[in-house]
Amino acid sequence: MPRGKSFRFASAIGRLSQLSRGSVSLFVAALREVFDESAYARFLQRNALSPSRRSYAEFLNENEQGKARRPRCC
Amino acid sequence: MWLVVIVLGVLSVATIALHRGEQISAMWLVVAAFCCYALGYRFYSAFISAKVLALDPNRATPAERLDNGRDFVPTNKWVVFGHHFAAIAGPGPLVGPVLAAQFGYLPGTLWILAGSVLGGCVQDFVILLFSVRRDGKSMTEMAREEIGQMGGFVAYLAVISIIVILLCACALIVVNALKSSPWGVFTIAMTIPIAILMGLYIRRLRPGRVLESSILGFVLVLIAIWGGQWVSQTPPVAALFTYSATTLAIVIIIYGFAASALPVWLLLAPRDYLSTFVKLGTIGMLALGIIIARPTLHMPALTRFIDGSGPVFAGTIFPFAFITIACGAISGFHSLISSGTTPKLIRREHETRMVGYGAMMAESLVAIMATIAACVLQPGTYFAINSPAGVVGQSPEAAAATISNWGFFVTAADMHGLAQSVGEQTLFNRTGGAPVFAVGMANIFSHSLGGQAVMAIWYHFAIMFEALFILTVLDAGTRVGRFMIQDALGHIWKPFGRTSWYPSILGTSALIVAAWGFFLWQGVKDPLGGINSLWPLFGISNQLLAIVALCVATTIIVKMGKTRYIAVTLLPLVWLVAVTFTASWQKIFSDDPRLGFLSHARQLELSGAGPDLARRIFNDRLDAAVAGLLVVLVALILAESLREWVRVLSGRKEARVKEAPFVATRFTAEEQA
Repeated sequence: MPRGKSFRFASAIGRLSQLSRGSVSLFVAALREVFDESAYARFLQRNALSPSRRSYAEFLNENEQGKARRPRCC
Repeated sequence: MWLVVIVLGVLSVATIALHRGEQISAMWLVVAAFCCYALGYRFYSAFISAKVLALDPNRATPAERLDNGRDFVPTNKWVVFGHHFAAIAGPGPLVGPVLAAQFGYLPGTLWILAGSVLGGCVQDFVILLFSVRRDGKSMTEMAREEIGQMGGFVAYLAVISIIVILLCACALIVVNALKSSPWGVFTIAMTIPIAILMGLYIRRLRPGRVLESSILGFVLVLIAIWGGQWVSQTPPVAALFTYSATTLAIVIIIYGFAASALPVWLLLAPRDYLSTFVKLGTIGMLALGIIIARPTLHMPALTRFIDGSGPVFAGTIFPFAFITIACGAISGFHSLISSGTTPKLIRREHETRMVGYGAMMAESLVAIMATIAACVLQPGTYFAINSPAGVVGQSPEAAAATISNWGFFVTAADMHGLAQSVGEQTLFNRTGGAPVFAVGMANIFSHSLGGQAVMAIWYHFAIMFEALFILTVLDAGTRVGRFMIQDALGHIWKPFGRTSWYPSILGTSALIVAAWGFFLWQGVKDPLGGINSLWPLFGISNQLLAIVALCVATTIIVKMGKTRYIAVTLLPLVWLVAVTFTASWQKIFSDDPRLGFLSHARQLELSGAGPDLARRIFNDRLDAAVAGLLVVLVALILAESLREWVRVLSGRKEARVKEAPFVATRFTAEEQA
């Protein structure tokens, strides 16, 4: 295979793997947002806390009203 | 490339619309849907973005200006898209198209495509953008500010009504899917301890690990489905999980009360997570299954029931096909989500197009998949499952004979074989849409994964998926309704408004559960199949809420000085007014006792006999009063909006919108750097 072609092939593979890595990380980020894991991470950062039962209970207390009011569509 | 999409779109829509007398592949529906969505998104939503809404990439959104790391958080557009879609996707787009398939596959498919591209997606998009420009204000707040006090009041009442009607219709679907089904009841019963276990796992064992616990919960649910087979095949155990419709209704009413009054973290939140996990996975699997199996549609394009004589629900194509499809084409409920949490996460104004318009396209695709699931069944099978005993006859032989006489051949032996293959005692008279969808979905899955041997597992997976979905709507909706009643009662006496005061929690929970429980009980006791009355009522109230949302949107467009583009929201508004007002009129005043509440009450009065006569007459009159009240409320907001448009357009009132002041975004500079 000529050098130019193999170089283009390798760079295409590289772009593809970068794209798929980006897509997977975006998908995981979306799941973390949907499942409130990101909200908990932000809560910890905002209040300078570390993950624990107590901090999670505080997070739930803070969110209880908002969560309960969040409608689920039909 | 777009020329190819246009040609392909026209070809597929023409194939769907013009083929008569021969079966077509379901892939035509999928191709037509993708082409319509692609064209709608690329051209129509771009036109609305540029000309009507004038999206400004330099304007800071509330997520940026009010960023507090809690409610207001600038978030990646794909993440917001996922979040928004998870919130708007409910059981409506699955059940509505399945019920509407009684007219054939054509009316439902055309309305899902046209209704979503020109109506539903537009509504979600404009309401999301208008909320973003108003610091994430809710639909009721925008209605009050832009239309007047009456707007806010009507929006509030419409929301409460739709929640009550939605909850009873949903609960009835679960009851019909689970009655005399030990396998289904066992699986769904198991999701309660599984959810509690997940709640304890997230709170006590591994705090905050929601995804991890959802995967664990999903595995446990799969084990419960597998265990359900053993339950159904072991007579003494099966007897413990075999319940009549009335018993199931009582159990669901008690469950709704408990879910509303218990702490959120214990049952409601983990169940919500589990349901979301199963929902997103199953929708993806169904799409993949349809593409792999490429099933053939056995339902004709149009059936003889377009004249309104259908057994699944009464009423002609216009207006009832449009009412029944509900959320698959346009849903007023989405405007609550578009003006709820989503606007507080939008990072840049132009991303509202992808999130608002795009997520509704995805929801509409779910409705197309539900249409396919219903229409791949033999029509005789579809009608045997979906018709109430009061219409087709009590015994399997009588029902099969009635349906065969309609021209849709089916035998009692065929249905018995199908019931056995999915692990049920019978599939006759399983109204509500969920069992038909489950059989269709199991059919598609078994053709693409596992074959006939696992048909029963797929069927119960589908039943579990729908029931879990619906029960999540039920417990979240009951809780939302409880908070709304507490808010209103708090204006009368302050302690009622305190969401942590237990007497108020118990009282208001009882009030909202009693409201939907009453209609559920009525639906269960109705020999003609309560879904016949309740689903159209739900469709009407949902579309009436969409009218409120479109009134708000049109008023804002007029005040923005963009009256020349008013048709973008005015046309769907006019169409919905025509559909919902006609449907309401017919449901109240039609002379056909199968359709009109009042004529049915008169028929019962004349017959003068039968069990619970007085109660059934009262129920009919109450249903008529509810439909009438909803129409009057929406007519009021329509009149109020019209008055506002005339005042602004005639120059008697200054055209001024109540948007948050312009602040330049820092994201543009960051991107350029």
